[in-house]
Amino acid sequence: MDGKEFVVLDSISLHVDEGEFAAIVGPSGCGKSTLLNIIAGIETHDPDEGGSVEVFPRAGHSTLRVGYVFQNARLLNWLTVEGNIQFALEAQEIPKERWRELITKYLEMVGLEGQEKNFPLNLSGGMQQRVAIARALAIEPDILLMDEPFSHLDEITARKMRFDLMDILTHAKPTILFVTHDLGEAVFLSDHIYMMSTKPARIFKQIAIEVARPRKPEDPVIFDLEKELVREFFSVLDAQD
Amino acid sequence: MITVYGDPATYLVVWKTLVRIIEGVVICMLIGTALGLLMGRERNVEAFFDSWIMVLLTFPAICWAFLSVLWFGLSEIGPILTIILIVFPFVTMNIWEGTKAVEKGLIDMATVYRANRSLMIRKVIIPQLMPFFFSALRIALSLSWKIALVGEAFGVGSGVGQKLIYWFEDTRVDMMLAWGVSFMIFMVAIDLVVFRLWEKRTFAWRHKIAS
Repeated sequence: MDGKEFVVLDSISLHVDEGEFAAIVGPSGCGKSTLLNIIAGIETHDPDEGGSVEVFPRAGHSTLRVGYVFQNARLLNWLTVEGNIQFALEAQEIPKERWRELITKYLEMVGLEGQEKNFPLNLSGGMQQRVAIARALAIEPDILLMDEPFSHLDEITARKMRFDLMDILTHAKPTILFVTHDLGEAVFLSDHIYMMSTKPARIFKQIAIEVARPRKPEDPVIFDLEKELVREFFSVLDAQD
Repeated sequence: MITVYGDPATYLVVWKTLVRIIEGVVICMLIGTALGLLMGRERNVEAFFDSWIMVLLTFPAICWAFLSVLWFGLSEIGPILTIILIVFPFVTMNIWEGTKAVEKGLIDMATVYRANRSLMIRKVIIPQLMPFFFSALRIALSLSWKIALVGEAFGVGSGVGQKLIYWFEDTRVDMMLAWGVSFMIFMVAIDLVVFRLWEKRTFAWRHKIAS
């Protein structure tokens, strides 16, 4: 190896409590996805560089269960909707007796009851993403990672999905780390927002959103918060240039 | 020509050739798939076989047929070995290409959900390789039957190939055609009935797009 090291993540520190919805907001290329991938274990961080990522399993879980909703659904198209959820349940070694119940429960929660035997390619992009969300919830994860899960959908579908996610979260209460570049989305959904800048990636602001749930997207409080945060973002990014 | 189709002995001859082809194809698929997967997995295996596969692919088929006769004489091994040497590189190529087409995103997804090795192979990797496996199988079959006849013509004293050379020496074009066509019909029937149906079942999830 010759030469420069590329520092992707620098002084990132965040703590997410159980049952909390935390969002990381930052421009593309700031290393948000890398952070999620490190937590998920698909990318590794260099221990010599220091830093640590610790996620603790909930009581009753012997291993850490991570649910992950990616930008695109990443379904196994050759398996039915039900088969895709079963895949995750089998992978997590969740007892077979519980599969039926979990599949029914979470498919219903994402609004896909009756689609068990359908194949993913018969579903719209939004519905495919709902299957991915059901798959992630069905393993009853210790942490649910979401990487811009609505960014590939058209705005109308995305809006509906955000609204439904908020609704889903009143039933299931997983700990969520949500990555997005959409401040409005972050303000609407989260309890805490961490704002990230690029090169090197660092968190420059952390803010708690104390708006009671259920929230409404047209709520002026939310809208004002979004505007304020956008302004702040620009001032930081401009200062960098 | 009627005498060819009416005679039960004909079907015995065709059967003999068919068995050789099937043996050859099965062995080719086994070797080719194993090597293709290995090349997709291990860098040094890939580096080593990359050029050797090309060498094998370009080596004249007729040479293998003659060499087989010289090495094994008029034995059962000759035509089968000829099939294997010519066809397995094609299978390897296809499967190797398939391993490159495996989507990393899905592997990552399965890793996050902690899929073990067996689950990963069964539900994530094999389904992605199936289209390549089928195309390899089709190529293997269509090549094998032609090679089998050449092998039989030179090597063993039985099978459709031997009949062809027999009638060739007698300059009986009609009989040669009768044998050639009869065999072709067999192979097309196998392709239509066995493979198309099998493929249709395997890719049911794809065909449903149309509905």
